[in-house]
Amino acid sequence: MSSHRPLFAGLVLAVLFAILDLRSALAVEHNFAGSLQLDYHLAPERSTPTTAGPTFRGFTTEAALKATADLNDHLSVNVKVCFGCHGFETDMAYAEYRFADELDVRAGRFSPSFGAFNLRHDPANHRLSDKPLAYDMGRMLRLRDWNLGVLPAPFPDNGAEVSGTHWFGSTYQLDWAAHVVSGFKGSDAGADLDFVQSRNGSLYYVDNNDQPSYGGRVSLTRRFADVGDATLGASVMHGAFDPRAQLSYTIAGADLSVRIRKMNFRIEYLVRRQDLDVSSPDRFRYEVPASGGDHFLKHGAYAEAEIPVTPTLDIVGRFDLLYRSGNVLRDSPLQARSGVFRYTVGTAYTLRRGLRLKYSTELWSFSDLGYAGRHTAVSMHLGAAVAF
Amino acid sequence: MKRPIVPAAIAALLAACSANPRGLRPMGDGIDPRSIPTEYRADYELFAQRCSKCHGLARALENDRVDPRFWDRYVDRMRHQPGSGIAPEDVPPILHFLYFYSGATPAEGDAGK
Repeated sequence: MSSHRPLFAGLVLAVLFAILDLRSALAVEHNFAGSLQLDYHLAPERSTPTTAGPTFRGFTTEAALKATADLNDHLSVNVKVCFGCHGFETDMAYAEYRFADELDVRAGRFSPSFGAFNLRHDPANHRLSDKPLAYDMGRMLRLRDWNLGVLPAPFPDNGAEVSGTHWFGSTYQLDWAAHVVSGFKGSDAGADLDFVQSRNGSLYYVDNNDQPSYGGRVSLTRRFADVGDATLGASVMHGAFDPRAQLSYTIAGADLSVRIRKMNFRIEYLVRRQDLDVSSPDRFRYEVPASGGDHFLKHGAYAEAEIPVTPTLDIVGRFDLLYRSGNVLRDSPLQARSGVFRYTVGTAYTLRRGLRLKYSTELWSFSDLGYAGRHTAVSMHLGAAVAF
Repeated sequence: MKRPIVPAAIAALLAACSANPRGLRPMGDGIDPRSIPTEYRADYELFAQRCSKCHGLARALENDRVDPRFWDRYVDRMRHQPGSGIAPEDVPPILHFLYFYSGATPAEGDAGK
């Protein structure tokens, strides 16, 4: 129980401040926002001549509706529900109290601050239909083989976060955040994180162990007059994922974003160190060494450029990769070292304000042979996204 | 001859949807700067540069709220987003444009210019 004290104290504080401020919340400001994306994924790669294989193909829909209530200048409440390939989920449900620019506390359910992509995870806020591989949550080819990306986004969780922002003059902006949340989940004999169990509302969003996950992020933004800005950031999170809290994961990341007028250039790298339960070595394909064989590493990185060609047309280029090193279960299609490169070119066309059409083509290069005996594959996305 | 009532009605509806009472012409996700009064043009450019970093401009421009307090809090919330690049000194000009665009009437001493 003692490990829950910080989380409990944060929640009590948030509720206390909410009650105190309700008296002055005579004029509550509400705002509603939302997004909808319909995407068609053409992925010709097949597992056998008759089955589609471990890839989401065809139409997928993502929808989100967010309500924000500003009870006063300091206290706000945010609730966001979304619908995706895995049904309705609560993406946000938290109260936020801002003491000052440098001290903000939020408690409830939210995606903790991590990485640069997190802010843009809503499909209305990124130009391509799919996310970078490091953050992939279901659109990558062979997704079951790879168990998605390094940190599938979004990653809402229950907990609390303190954060702040500070400007040094009008040139430098320093942001920081530290969080404590339930953390990702997995099974007792876990060989990887179980992302379905981690986000599934049917399990009441309750943790599977009593050890919270913790982490944080720090970033520095430098402005270049009115021309643009650059942000350099670093993030980390750590927690136990099995019910006995014996196995842990650590995710670290670094990112650089440069914006020149309306052009965006981004580079981001993530790595996850994941414990393996090696108490039954026969489960694994490779011999488990006496030391150093109890974990694997999963790396993910991307570099992308968004260039507005006209006020209505953007072109996007992205290169991203996943690389995994470490032991695998006997039935895994992956090897001790497996990798995938993806090359993407795409366009985003603004048909009307708030309505964007997206098209992209992706060339995949896997280190492992696919079911059809090929290392490469091509896929395409055609989608429409609405923001309101 | 059959009169083209339906196409004309649709065209009128679309035109009405995209029209702005101040004669501001939509352009992409934003506004054609040439249709913005000179007094507000630089403020719009700042708004467009800063606010399109994380999301489309439609989020703000399709919002029909006219209460200046709503916009004060809206911009304040965005300013606190990590890496927003919105410095405190950017707030008055951004609000100046948003008050104008939304038709909000700022009270004496409000953040707008």
